[in-house]
Amino acid sequence: MKRFAIATTAIDPAALREGLRDPGAGGFCAFEGWVRNSNEGREVDGLEYEAYVELAIAEGERIAEEAIARYGVSAAHCVHRTGDLKIGDMAVWVGASAPHRDEAFRACRYIIDEIKHRLPIWKKEHYVTGETSWVACSHTYREHEHEEGGHPHHGHAHHGHAPAAPFMPDYSRQMRLSEVGEAGQARLAAARVLVIGAGGLGSPVIAYLAGAGVGTLGLVDGDRVDASNLHRQTLYDARDIGKPKVELAARRVAAINPSVQVRAFAEPLHAGNVVETFAQFDLVLECTDDMRSRYLSSDGAVLSGTPLVLASVYQYEGQLQVVDPKAGLPCLRCLWPQEPSPEAVGSCVLSGVLGPVPGVLGAMQAMEALKILLDLPRPKNATLALVNLLDNTIQHLGMDTTAGCAAHGGCTHQARAALRRAQDQREMDLSFHSLAEAVAAGFQLVDVREANEIAALPLPGVPSRHVPSGEIAVHAQVLRNEGRYLLICASGRRSAHAVQRLRAEGVENVYSLAGGLAALSLRKAS
Amino acid sequence: MALVNLQYYAQLREQAGTGSEQVLTGAASLRDLYEELRARHGFSLDAASLKVAVNTQFCAWDRLLRDGDTVVFIPPVAGG
Ligand SMILES: [Zn+2]
Repeated sequence: MKRFAIATTAIDPAALREGLRDPGAGGFCAFEGWVRNSNEGREVDGLEYEAYVELAIAEGERIAEEAIARYGVSAAHCVHRTGDLKIGDMAVWVGASAPHRDEAFRACRYIIDEIKHRLPIWKKEHYVTGETSWVACSHTYREHEHEEGGHPHHGHAHHGHAPAAPFMPDYSRQMRLSEVGEAGQARLAAARVLVIGAGGLGSPVIAYLAGAGVGTLGLVDGDRVDASNLHRQTLYDARDIGKPKVELAARRVAAINPSVQVRAFAEPLHAGNVVETFAQFDLVLECTDDMRSRYLSSDGAVLSGTPLVLASVYQYEGQLQVVDPKAGLPCLRCLWPQEPSPEAVGSCVLSGVLGPVPGVLGAMQAMEALKILLDLPRPKNATLALVNLLDNTIQHLGMDTTAGCAAHGGCTHQARAALRRAQDQREMDLSFHSLAEAVAAGFQLVDVREANEIAALPLPGVPSRHVPSGEIAVHAQVLRNEGRYLLICASGRRSAHAVQRLRAEGVENVYSLAGGLAALSLRKAS
Repeated sequence: MALVNLQYYAQLREQAGTGSEQVLTGAASLRDLYEELRARHGFSLDAASLKVAVNTQFCAWDRLLRDGDTVVFIPPVAGG
């Protein structure tokens, strides 16, 4: 990875060139873009590049990967400058190495054209007269668009777009509200909001918060778009299937409102980083369909003091809860102290859901978020809202703040204990691409499934011993021997439980295959 | 005996086959009432994994039932 970078200081082409060396490469081609002393007849004495960095990096990576796939080059890299540049300074460097020269030339050309066309980078020219002007870096003629189709000399229809003026957001419709006004808009611009989950709930949340001009949007999602998402996840369309949601959502935000800064997290948060991540935001919205994530967010909100807007849906109904530790509002554990088993809570996959249901609940979350950020009037009592979209009722159920965690050491105590448990679990859970990889890493495999499961799906071609999870404690003594043991079951749940029991017996050299055999077959499929 | 109004959400609504019903019950507490209903409707969730609210306020399971109470059973849901 890392095929594209934004540089704030001078580019070093020699080092970049060395980075593209490959024994299979027979040719190397580089392109350098320099700052020249005039543009369209005006004398220029310098310029300034400004980039929407997160998006530029994501898009730049994608362009380099496209070039590699398209032309089969060995390696490609691009660096674009930002900041103040003088005449003659290098603004952009593109390099590609390939088995043959033609691919290298073409990949280079492709990358620079696409960079010019697609990257959210703006150029401000300083003229000798003392004036300046912003120039959009787009509307490039792209050679490769004319490569295919066999009519290279008849395809010169330019796109004909006038150079796009820099986008100026217009918040007049919401600023007209006396409770918003300029002061409110400034609060939104200064706000940092983290949205966890860019699915059915996250789609309206992200779109509304971007449109409203929230200054920084953090987006967390590790999933890719699936065709079954499209009935409720309105950020995406059919062309997006198979692509990472977080990247698509970041592009969607940039399309709705380029003035919003996006921080994309392509991996789910975990017990080890949730508190420090939440602490970097003013507000968090939990929009996943994952109970474990919801509890993690509740614990993170309690321990970082960050308000959290929780929502979840089931078929035709939803639940909405605002956790605000500083305002003394109860957390998720105050209501349901123990995380329920995945089978008990249902999901959109298992139980079904109509598309507008997360749409409504997500819009309500966005509304709560804006109310909190703008300090608009809102109910101060602790309630859980039950939204029933069949009979169109909303019930607010009041919570007794002295019940719940308060009766068991308080939310902070409960959250800390829960994160510690989750951390321990994380340390015990190991991920591998294959069982052979685990064996190569020095693990001895212990299959804790039942005999009939093993008969139906034996472990493929790797040595293992068999100890059903129910009998694991009896074998604690044997496993205490030197070496490291990886316990395996179908889903990772029984093996995790068995590891916990062994650790409780003082057996430290045991681990659980995260996600079980199901995770392995998933990896193989993807 | 108490005549109470019941509301079901999520899986409970599905398993009861209705969102609400009125029942005449001899159950003394909310816990007894839920066990009675669980036997009747075959609810898969036990009381420990639910919250219960009476007259729009969350309550403890040992609260005694009164005539005319509106009782809501709420499981946590995770869809999104
Ligand atoms: Zn709590």
